[in-house]
Amino acid sequence: MIELNGVTREYAGHGSTVRALDHATFDIHTGEWVAITGPSGSGKSTLVNLLGCLDRPTSGELKIDGVDVSTMSSGDLNRFRSDKIGFIFQQFHLIPYLSAVENVMLAQYFHSMTDENEAKMALEKVGLGSRISHLPSELSGGEQQRVCIARALINNPPILLADEPTGNLDATNQKIVANLLGELHRYGHTIVMVTHDPEMAALAQRKIALSHGKVFCHPTSAARMVRLQR
Amino acid sequence: MLASKLTMTHLLRRSLIHRRARSLSALVALTVSAGVATALLTLYAGLDAKLHHEFRSFGANIVITAPTTSALPANALAQVKTAAGDDALAAAFGYAVATTDRGTPVVVSGTDFAAVKKLDAWWSVDAWPSELDTNAALLGQRAANFVANEHEVKLTFAGKPLVLHGVGRLKTGGDEDSRIYMPMAAFTSWTGTGTSVIEVQVPGGAAKVEAAISRLQHALPGMTVQPVRQLVEGESRIVDRTHTLMYAAVMLIALTVGVSVLATLSASVLERRRDFALMKALGGSQAQLIALFLLEALLLALAGVVAGYIVGSALAWAISEGNFGTATLPRLGVLPLVLLLNLAIAVMAALFPARVLRGLQPAALLKGE
Repeated sequence: MIELNGVTREYAGHGSTVRALDHATFDIHTGEWVAITGPSGSGKSTLVNLLGCLDRPTSGELKIDGVDVSTMSSGDLNRFRSDKIGFIFQQFHLIPYLSAVENVMLAQYFHSMTDENEAKMALEKVGLGSRISHLPSELSGGEQQRVCIARALINNPPILLADEPTGNLDATNQKIVANLLGELHRYGHTIVMVTHDPEMAALAQRKIALSHGKVFCHPTSAARMVRLQR
Repeated sequence: MLASKLTMTHLLRRSLIHRRARSLSALVALTVSAGVATALLTLYAGLDAKLHHEFRSFGANIVITAPTTSALPANALAQVKTAAGDDALAAAFGYAVATTDRGTPVVVSGTDFAAVKKLDAWWSVDAWPSELDTNAALLGQRAANFVANEHEVKLTFAGKPLVLHGVGRLKTGGDEDSRIYMPMAAFTSWTGTGTSVIEVQVPGGAAKVEAAISRLQHALPGMTVQPVRQLVEGESRIVDRTHTLMYAAVMLIALTVGVSVLATLSASVLERRRDFALMKALGGSQAQLIALFLLEALLLALAGVVAGYIVGSALAWAISEGNFGTATLPRLGVLPLVLLLNLAIAVMAALFPARVLRGLQPAALLKGE
């Protein structure tokens, strides 16, 4: 369960203060798939950074699984992040000199202990069992995103934060990734996905729209959920 | 090849190989610093001995003379040798003014040719008289013109004639060119005078010469014992300046290399900001990331020390062979200093990039801002 209560994030710069997120108050339930939408500069990235424990609110309370992360030390926040959250990035962010399996193992390295077999299994799960020793430069965009998903899953985090996961992919790969996310949701992962794409947003149970840092929540679309689960 | 376990060593190795141009550039800079430091420190360690050896060829650095009213004691030379030490060189000289067969007055000096040959190695002599030749003469360049026949040198002192046979010519550019040198025994029996001057060459710097002077003054009371100031002070000054120059060169090179390594490491962090930001996002702690980066710098510094020590030792050998005519062997003793220098350069150069690393904001970087 993710709870936001009056969360505000302000940035200071050039003699003025910019309020990127303004008193956001909402919950995301365990196992829910939420899409965060909104135009550029609406505060989507700020929200994802806060939910991903990469940033702290200026004011307000942000609780994940009952723990207030806004008051945690950097070290504790690192630990908490690697335990609870898996990241899927629009630009994949794979280490260029590590193979696919080593990129997955990197998340294990910073979490606990590396296990090659587990990393291979994660890659098999995303359909890349035959590409484990390939470098990112030898993989297509879709394959790189799947490595990124395998890396996000390897420590079995309950929450997956996906920031424009299909933003750099063609239609075929977009479908593959969308199906993978659907599958992960069925396995019980909470998915928070930032997207500009209405089709991707439609796959989520609920939309959270942002405009000028303010949050507008929408109810779940039951019809779309049924379609997704098929 | 895949790693069954992902370790820091593995990450370091792959990262260094992947960015081989940058790694090589830092390695070359660190090898240069270690190489130059090794060469200079190796030369520095043997510099005193080599410079003193060079200065030795310039001749005496102490002159002992008797007061004008008396002569040096008969055993003065033996006393000088005892007081000056086993490694000192000494030669005795007696002086008299004789007349040549052309009627020209000339300074005749009695001495031990073997001792002078060692002491005044810088003299330009075409042929040294043999120690066994009791009637030989060595003629100064100008003095040779004062006699009618160089091979039959006819001299007169206080009405006593003497015929010597000239063996060779001497050229120094100094007073020696106007003198005729002959064996001390023949000189004493001819002129009735003995040693009036003893020239001594004590190896070592100014301090060692001063100590020898003090011992000589104690051994020969009443005699004048004086250093050849210009030579002693000149030697001391050159040794000191050479030391300063070497230290300055090492520091200058360390500074230059430091700046170069700083630039390379800074660029290395800046171009990998996203990689490090990703590692932070994946749970990498500040300490882990800085350790990864510092280890990379230290690894390059260590490799630089190994390569630099080999290159520097070879350089020292070549410089020594070329300038002093003797080879300088590698000195293991300089290795800890070179290691310390290179590690200091690497750590200092890594401090700024490490600061950049600490301030990384994964959120902004991973978003591509």
